[in-house]
Amino acid sequence: MHDIRYDEVHDEFFVVNPFAEAVLAFRAESSGQESPVRIIQGPHVKIGGTRLAVDPVHNEIFVPDATRIRVYPRDANGDVAPIRIIEGPETQLARAESVAVDPVNNILVVGFNKVGDEPDGAIFMFNRTDNGNVKPRAVIRGPKSEIIRINQMAVYPPKKLIVAAMPGIEEMMEPPTAFLGVWTYDDNGEVPPKWKIPIGPKTTLKKPFGVVLNPKNKEVIISDMRLNAVLTFSVPEIF
Amino acid sequence: MRKIYLLALAGLILWLAQGTLARPPQTRLIGQERLVSVEPLPESGGEFCETVAPAGPETLMAALQQRQEGRQAAITARNAATEDRSKLKPVRWIHDPYAAYSSVAVDPMNNEVVLTDENLFQILVYDRTATTPASARLTEPKRIIAGLNTKIEFQCGLYIDPKTGNIYAVNNDTVDTLVIFDRNAKGNVPPTRELYTPHGTFGIAVDEAAEEMFLTLQHDSAMVVFRKYAQKDESPLRLLQGDATGLADPHGIALDTKNGWVFISNHGAVSSRSPRPDARPSRRAAQKQNWPLERAQAVPGSGRNLPPSIIVHGMKAQGNAPPLRVIQGPKTQFNWPTGLAIDEQRGELYVANDMGNSILVFNATDGGDVAPKRVIKGPKTNVANPTGVWVDLKNNELWVANFMNHSATVYPLNASGDVAPLRMIRSGPLNEASLGIGNPHPIAYDSKREQILVPN
Repeated sequence: MHDIRYDEVHDEFFVVNPFAEAVLAFRAESSGQESPVRIIQGPHVKIGGTRLAVDPVHNEIFVPDATRIRVYPRDANGDVAPIRIIEGPETQLARAESVAVDPVNNILVVGFNKVGDEPDGAIFMFNRTDNGNVKPRAVIRGPKSEIIRINQMAVYPPKKLIVAAMPGIEEMMEPPTAFLGVWTYDDNGEVPPKWKIPIGPKTTLKKPFGVVLNPKNKEVIISDMRLNAVLTFSVPEIF
Repeated sequence: MRKIYLLALAGLILWLAQGTLARPPQTRLIGQERLVSVEPLPESGGEFCETVAPAGPETLMAALQQRQEGRQAAITARNAATEDRSKLKPVRWIHDPYAAYSSVAVDPMNNEVVLTDENLFQILVYDRTATTPASARLTEPKRIIAGLNTKIEFQCGLYIDPKTGNIYAVNNDTVDTLVIFDRNAKGNVPPTRELYTPHGTFGIAVDEAAEEMFLTLQHDSAMVVFRKYAQKDESPLRLLQGDATGLADPHGIALDTKNGWVFISNHGAVSSRSPRPDARPSRRAAQKQNWPLERAQAVPGSGRNLPPSIIVHGMKAQGNAPPLRVIQGPKTQFNWPTGLAIDEQRGELYVANDMGNSILVFNATDGGDVAPKRVIKGPKTNVANPTGVWVDLKNNELWVANFMNHSATVYPLNASGDVAPLRMIRSGPLNEASLGIGNPHPIAYDSKREQILVPN
């Protein structure tokens, strides 16, 4: 499982099963071997990605798939075609792997990954309602950005922040370039992260894979693959 | 006085305009947004706060002054180095300090048992007859192979060469390399031999007579056969992949060399594959024969969830060959059937039934919706999410790697029901459950219940 999103409005969580090309919706209280309440899967669905984002306000699910972003109704069930697809040469979508959506500021954030000899990763920003062959409103990339690979992103609408877990070069077990980085929606171009929680002996991080925010307690929660652990950091300054 | 005011005003406007023109074309200046006070969104369930306007300037000069300061602050912030939080320590840490056994193999020649650990990324070697006293926290292994040089990470499949005692250990998902160690290897040593495998390799079995090594590929719903002594970028000898094969998220694999059968357990999630000209193969796939069609060649919309199964193929099967038999259905009790082992002497198939918390035993000739002939399950067994099994024919023992309770348990080969193990090796305190965190990718936070959701 490469992604999970909690929908606080409808009290559900969503995951992608990439082998079965399906998005599964569960009751948030699910336990044990409880079945999903809905499954989006089938020839019209065409889910090819492994990650997703959920907009509980506008009732939409976003699934990136390398060169396109497919958008489904949040409450879709069965073989449901996407209601919008962002794709085409103007989008510059090439290696879109991760996605996050801000329903307040209407921003869709897309993370690009570097694989092998391909160019480094990037953060693309679109309007939440974009459809078809549209240009991104901003692109953060380049050596100063330090973006190589993004596994999961979270957004913080009140401060227009993008928080991204960067596990570094895929082929390395403990890449020295792994970190957690924070940018804003206003960043564009070759912009370094505003804040950075790097790997290292103090932070204990080795390979941050996932990230989620707990604004109530002003905490950033990070899953670390090399540690098989979940670490919580108090970072009040970014909230 | 009014002239001075206007001159100052014009100067400021000019200065601001210059500042704007001097900026790189791609960069948006973000001064104002930074200075305007921001009210955080109300927390879940709370009332919306009224927006409080920032303290407004009373004069035009004051407004311009504030704007100028804001712009300058934004430029400064933009040019400032990243705020590094390298000294930040986590306030909480969820982590299991003990090994989580994922697969097991016995070296009867040297009277040792080898276990892989998916939590701390180790291979652990114990005396075969070791047992952890109830009062002890754990049993120290005789040898540990671990560290970055070893290339050990999420190891899920294990094989011991019966002639040399060499250890063959499969990495799943994160390190696409099969690592082979000398029997006496220990510490942070590089593998004696490496084989670059397709992504998501899980199970391993070896036909010693033919010197062929069989691997299941979870991600590509395939099986590949390599030379036993293959290394680095060598191509597989054969590939089994396709909708007819019955492969669907395959995990465990076992060989019945007496009858020429290969048994493969499937969890059931699968998509069809078809060569796509627009799909780039992975670097590992480049110019190799018998390489599986990878995820990039998945047919969009073909994904499906099949019931779990064990399929039986001939050991020389390849291409899109259908299975000889399929064991599948509600009577089987399959619930993520994972590790497999064969007792060729008695013609029995052992299944580590992960989510069923059981070991299922079938006749090797079984097919269809058939009930297991024996089931090892219950509180006395100490079986907890078993993922690995091994049949030790020399000592007539069955070994089980229990992923969720830090233990490997041993039973007589004819064990059935809720039976206590003959012996148990523990990597952690008795009755202290494993956290079960393994390759945590993303996470979510349930703000209503204040819970962290960790998929693996």
